[in-house]
Amino acid sequence: MFEKSLHDLIRGLRNHKANEKEYIQNCLKECRSEIRSQDMDVKAAALLKLIYLEMLGHDMSWASFHVLEVMSSPKYHQKRVGYLGAVQTFRPDTEVLMLATNLLKKDLAASLPTTIALPIAALPHFITPSLALSVLADLLPRLTHSHSTIRKKTIVTLYRLALVYPETLPAAWPKIKERLMDKDEDPGVTAAIVNVVCELGWQRPNDFLGLAPRFFELLVERGNNWMAIKLIKLFATLTPLEPRLIRKLLPPLTDLIRTTPAMSLLYECINGIIQGGILGEEDDNSGSEEIASLCVTKLRGMTINGDANLKYVALLAFNRIVVTHPYLVAQQEDVILECIDSDDITIRIKALDLVQGMVSSDNLVSIVSRLMRQLKTSSLAGHPRNGQQTVDTNTDSSDDAGADLSRSSRPQKDDVPPLPEDYTIDVIGRILIMCAQNNYSSLVDFDWYIDVLTQLIRIGPISRRAEFDSALEQKSHTIDVSEKIGNELRNVAVKVKAVRLAAVRAAELIISRLYTESTSSHSVLSGALRPVAWIAGEYAFQLSSPDDTLGHLLHLVPRITSPEILATCLQTILKIFSLIAGNDQVLWTSERKSTMALLMARVIHLLEPLVLHPYLEVQERAVEFTELLKLTVEAAFGQAPSTDEVQQDPPLLLTQAIPSLFNGWELNSVAHGAQQNVPMPPDLDLDEPIHADLDRLLAQADSLILPVPGDDEFEVYYNQKLAPTSLSNEPAINRLPDAPEEVVHESYQQQAGEESYLDADILARRKAERLERNRDDPFYIGPQSGGTSTLIHNTLQTENGTDLDIDSIPIMKLNLDNLSNEIQPSAAAPRPRPQPRQRIVVAADETLAGGSGRSTPRNYESENNSDSFTKSKAKKLKQQSLLQVDSSRLRDLSLEAAAAEPGLQPQEEDAEMAQAMKEVQRLRMEMQRANERIQTAQGVPAEGVVVKKKTTKKKKAVAAEDGEGAAVKIKKKKKKTSVASPVVDTPSGSGEVVEASEAGAAAASELLGEAAAAGVTEESSAKQPNKVKKKTTTKKAPKRIIQLDDDDFGAAASSSLPDT
Amino acid sequence: MINAFLVFNGQGKPRLTKFYTQLDTSIQQRLISEIFTLVSHRPPGSCNFLPLPPLLAASGTSHSSSEPHNDVPSLVTYRHYATLYFIVISTSTESPLALIDLIQVYVEALDKLIENVCELDLIYNFETLHATLGEMIVGGVVIETDGDKIVAGVRAQGKIAKRPVNEGRGVGLGGGLGMGGNFVWHGR
Repeated sequence: MFEKSLHDLIRGLRNHKANEKEYIQNCLKECRSEIRSQDMDVKAAALLKLIYLEMLGHDMSWASFHVLEVMSSPKYHQKRVGYLGAVQTFRPDTEVLMLATNLLKKDLAASLPTTIALPIAALPHFITPSLALSVLADLLPRLTHSHSTIRKKTIVTLYRLALVYPETLPAAWPKIKERLMDKDEDPGVTAAIVNVVCELGWQRPNDFLGLAPRFFELLVERGNNWMAIKLIKLFATLTPLEPRLIRKLLPPLTDLIRTTPAMSLLYECINGIIQGGILGEEDDNSGSEEIASLCVTKLRGMTINGDANLKYVALLAFNRIVVTHPYLVAQQEDVILECIDSDDITIRIKALDLVQGMVSSDNLVSIVSRLMRQLKTSSLAGHPRNGQQTVDTNTDSSDDAGADLSRSSRPQKDDVPPLPEDYTIDVIGRILIMCAQNNYSSLVDFDWYIDVLTQLIRIGPISRRAEFDSALEQKSHTIDVSEKIGNELRNVAVKVKAVRLAAVRAAELIISRLYTESTSSHSVLSGALRPVAWIAGEYAFQLSSPDDTLGHLLHLVPRITSPEILATCLQTILKIFSLIAGNDQVLWTSERKSTMALLMARVIHLLEPLVLHPYLEVQERAVEFTELLKLTVEAAFGQAPSTDEVQQDPPLLLTQAIPSLFNGWELNSVAHGAQQNVPMPPDLDLDEPIHADLDRLLAQADSLILPVPGDDEFEVYYNQKLAPTSLSNEPAINRLPDAPEEVVHESYQQQAGEESYLDADILARRKAERLERNRDDPFYIGPQSGGTSTLIHNTLQTENGTDLDIDSIPIMKLNLDNLSNEIQPSAAAPRPRPQPRQRIVVAADETLAGGSGRSTPRNYESENNSDSFTKSKAKKLKQQSLLQVDSSRLRDLSLEAAAAEPGLQPQEEDAEMAQAMKEVQRLRMEMQRANERIQTAQGVPAEGVVVKKKTTKKKKAVAAEDGEGAAVKIKKKKKKTSVASPVVDTPSGSGEVVEASEAGAAAASELLGEAAAAGVTEESSAKQPNKVKKKTTTKKAPKRIIQLDDDDFGAAASSSLPDT
Repeated sequence: MINAFLVFNGQGKPRLTKFYTQLDTSIQQRLISEIFTLVSHRPPGSCNFLPLPPLLAASGTSHSSSEPHNDVPSLVTYRHYATLYFIVISTSTESPLALIDLIQVYVEALDKLIENVCELDLIYNFETLHATLGEMIVGGVVIETDGDKIVAGVRAQGKIAKRPVNEGRGVGLGGGLGMGGNFVWHGR
């Protein structure tokens, strides 16, 4: 024989490392012919090779019929290969499954335990409801098999059967329970039952309440740590239903926590206490306080312990505690924050999850600072050139920043691997969420936040966008992080009037940076430009230099690839232009006239190519603005400049008309979903055609480009804002002269560690702004206490003119040692700067009364987010997880008393049966045909004599299978009806369920030695009927990759998904 | 429950794949390579748990950390022995630390079955790998954690094929697969 064995294949693979692909293809070809061999040994060997290759990623679903052939071999070692093939490659929709039923039933009844074990272990991998129905009767007797291995495996397989065919449980449960209660049962079997019950437990805890005494017994026996872990998990689901269990459980659990050497058991005890709600309330006196502190101490120990695994599970536990007992976790803030800086990404992410729930106004700054430092150092590692520059500036300041900075700057010298991009994005997202939480309630210092945002935009990865330039559909679900950051900046600008000026300045800075950074050949990719440009346009009157910003934008626009950004930028350009042009204080001199003409020419030059832009929004705006500006140019040209004698007004179009387009009401943030609450006008009929002769219009539109209709009344209403009135309603800060913008390379002081994550120029600005803000504050003592003339000093003097002599302010001469010490940056770890809480008003989202719109600031949509609706829609699309096993169907089923299951209506049953029969027929035909096709597809001429022989043989085989299939069919029919009949007998099962749960409660009270079970019984019986009523027949939702669907989860997910 | 049990080597070549819910072969491979990327970039001394690979994270577990859905695979545990990685994907109903032990039990059982086991042994004893796993986990539920019983169960199914003699010993997995390694949780 020349066939290769599996060993030969593997050896061959090892010897053909260079041309592995080719070798595998050859092997596959060989296997294809070998597997059709009449020799069962060759067939099995070929199958084993195929299974091996399947593991390496070579599909073998085409061979499923041969798998079945090998499965039916009488020899055990061949049968085993066949079953392995089935386990690895059969799916519930594998068609040959129909033919396997009889074989499975036969093997289940075999005499050798090893043979019986094969189908039992294989069934969970391809079980379908109809298969479950047919093998259930053969599987049940195996629960009492003499071999404990068979019993164990049967129990688990029955559980998997129940997942797809819930009716399994009523039949199997009494027997499983019998095994469980049997004290002489093999401990392995008991453990397996506990494992299964634990899986069932969280779905239907009520059914297992009655077994609590037995579980408790098993827990106290302390035979097996594995089982103890599962028992504790089970009890954690039971205690919420039966609070009296807690008192019973506390002593053994406390004992376990104190004594067990097994960390896994210790952790699960703590976890069980948390999940079971045993931690109790603060004012509880039942000793739960003691257990709470015991748990938290143990967890703290695990976090401090050097072992990363313990750290991880401790964080997991903290994550659970924080939901119910945030104060317990808050005490551990120090150790948790340490974990944020762990080398291990897994631990970092868990710590981040936790920190997100712990944020308060006290620790927000320090937490965000830590994260920012991480991002900064990693981005430095990513861009060495940029990094070098910043490290230099850092060394200047590290002298006075003290120990903390030296700690944070250490990794810069070491070789820090750049953080994975998705982690970076995740962290940025979390920073934004933390800061924006509850409408910015934890945020005290908005100026700091704006600086953090500015820094984030620089750090944030933007390369993502480059991969799919204009692929709109791709972009819609990978929202650019930098756009997210920009949106935050915009939100702040809109909502917090007090810092609007700062936000606008930040936006200005970002635009100018984008302009200087990107060379003319590169396209602008940063998604941040869109919201940032919006800010600059909307609050143009607060720009420090509208002319410069306009200039930058004019340079940037031709390089913008994303149409949405482009549309927003066009709007911004006109807004800024209207501000510059609308200033009627400036005399209409000839100089002014030519400047305006030049500016308008520039804008028109920019807009003109965009008139034919494929993106409608851009096209529309470009067309509108070009026409408007052309008109204005004419008007301006016609208006003679004022001379010394004749006073000429500037053209009204320039000073009045254009600005009036943008001066309307101030835009406020609107709560998410508020739009949907706008009542529909009663006379609005959406079905009514827009135009009686729409078809003709559309036909016309095809032939000529219609100018898109301009602003309608609605848009005017929303876009126009009040004329920029005096700045009187602004905070006093804004009326102060602007802070100097130039970079001050001085040794300066700031809050500890800030320089480790903010760029030098941002820091300098911060510094200057702080000085500016505190200048009028008599209680503030500047760092230049010596009165020596510094750069800042000079700047201040020039800003304020000579008449203000700072040195002459008497308070400045106070030079108290302790005060100046206090101002020195503290060497300790970053802690929240003691700062008087500013009264900053954060505008709430606008919403309509009675609406369900959630007021989440992040959900704010600007006027320009034309595609925001589709975006949020795409986000809502839930995705079924891979590998997920659906167990929700079990929820609707009672374990006790098979009759309690209402089941399907008989006529439905019949219809379903008929459908199934049809399906069987169809599939069999298809398979037959497919088999024939395989015959002919082997590359041998169809008329060949040899082939004819073969095909006749095959046909015989198929015919035999046919007979088998028919047999299955008949049997199935019998089964179905026999199962259906008891279901019909008792259509209303509620009474039964109540009885069962009463029994459970009674048993529980027995355990507790209390007679007063009446209250509980009432309670549970009140709950039960509800549960039964809720029962609905499980619907089939469209399937995804995984065969099982989880309807309940889907519904829950779509309702609880936060829109980010 | 356990959703998948995987073994692959330091180059990401699968040595054992067992999915307790069936996936298309191509998606299996994608998942393996995603997990391999994650696992091969772990710094020394990090914990034995991986963040969810993108394929699994798609359903979004980060937001539901407070209330995990028990059906969704949410935990990826791994252990590294010499040239091999052992991976367990499971739902939140399994105990993380116990899973680390479970891998240890598996490797110990293999070591008892094939003396001083190394990666090459596992390649050639493909069927034994599956049989051993089958004695421990059925349908995603752990049925046995006692090493001796597992070994007995596998032996009952027939002789363990020996690795061809002429094959080189390959890289020994460091005194077997590094049994009695640094972290033993006494979970059993």
